[in-house]
Amino acid sequence: MEQDRREFEEFYSAARDHCLRVVLISVGDRHLADDLVAEAFTRAWASWRKVRGHPAPRAWVVRTALNMHVSWWRKRRREVALHSQDEAAVASQYPGLDIALVAALRRLPAKQREVIVLRLLLDLDTATTAQTLGVPSGTVASHLHRGLAALRREIPALDYQEHVR
Amino acid sequence: MNDIRLADAVRSGLHEACDSLSTVHMAVPASTIMARADKTRRHRRQGVLAGAGGLAAAAVAAAVATGIAVPVSNPSYAGGPPDGHVAKGSGVRLTAWTVTRQANGSIRVTFFGQLRDPAGLQRTLRADGIPASVTFIGEQNPACRSIPVAPGGVVGGSGFFKDVQGAYERPQATAPRQVQAQGATSSQNPYDHQQDALVIRPAALPSGAGLQIAVMRGIPLGPSGPWPYPKGSGQAVVEIGLVKASPQCTGS
Repeated sequence: MEQDRREFEEFYSAARDHCLRVVLISVGDRHLADDLVAEAFTRAWASWRKVRGHPAPRAWVVRTALNMHVSWWRKRRREVALHSQDEAAVASQYPGLDIALVAALRRLPAKQREVIVLRLLLDLDTATTAQTLGVPSGTVASHLHRGLAALRREIPALDYQEHVR
Repeated sequence: MNDIRLADAVRSGLHEACDSLSTVHMAVPASTIMARADKTRRHRRQGVLAGAGGLAAAAVAAAVATGIAVPVSNPSYAGGPPDGHVAKGSGVRLTAWTVTRQANGSIRVTFFGQLRDPAGLQRTLRADGIPASVTFIGEQNPACRSIPVAPGGVVGGSGFFKDVQGAYERPQATAPRQVQAQGATSSQNPYDHQQDALVIRPAALPSGAGLQIAVMRGIPLGPSGPWPYPKGSGQAVVEIGLVKASPQCTGS
């Protein structure tokens, strides 16, 4: 048990800020991201024997946090109309943030957003992403393709960046 | 252009975005995270043990009295008289929740921890004339058909407990706006949220409609909830909506 606690503390210390930033990029609300990540780590400790054997424990935490956010957002969408206040607030708080990309990411359907976060932000391979999400690899590829297509439509400048690299 | 190069551009953009958040740090210490999980685990274990103990005693008593074995069907039942008048059909107090009929005819559901036996709660509500589908969040019954929220309609959105140790600030601020935006008054609303309880007004349910109640798994509810949710969370732990009542969704 003591060994488990030490392992979790080391994992938490190494991963917490990264997980928080990834979730913040996905949800755009600092307080919400704090809460989601805290709860996701709480669940990680509650299931530590399973999580430590996961090929990508950070992805497990991020995915758990984002899943909770889906529920939260599903509820909120019916309560208040979407507007850009959150995006503006985030942009002013973190000047270096590419707000167009982050906003476009947040507008993606949940599954596409999860796949892009896991594959491109956490740099997981397709198989690990599929295992984390509990879907076939083909579904990951499909969501990634559709998500990228949607981002391309939203941010034409991505094509330009692609050409100049 | 192809997906690989586009993915590289997006990856690069996202990593830069992440780097730009270098001042963002998780302030909660590991000890708090672990204590919260340990406490939740203890509550869950105690609830199961208490329920199992009560049932075991009842089973022994029944066996002594009747000479036959009594099967254990639900470990969440603790037995004992409820506080207040129990609605028809419930008849027992659960360690996880109680359902009581109030003097004005409304039905009050009170939670005492994490939701357990959602199917039992659904049956109890049904016995009291409330068609309902009760599940954990993310596990809603796919057979249920939501009733769309019309502008000026009666109800929509979700409910939440505004007083889990007094910590839910955003839901408290959101609730009046939600009601106002939908043109509903509290008297028209078929449900209300009071402290640790959900109050349902059967007479306000539209004809043919039922309630869909979804509770976040693993989150303790009610005044004994051990987790003081950080202020500003805004995270619903209970989602409530209207659905079309049907045998597949709300039971019969």
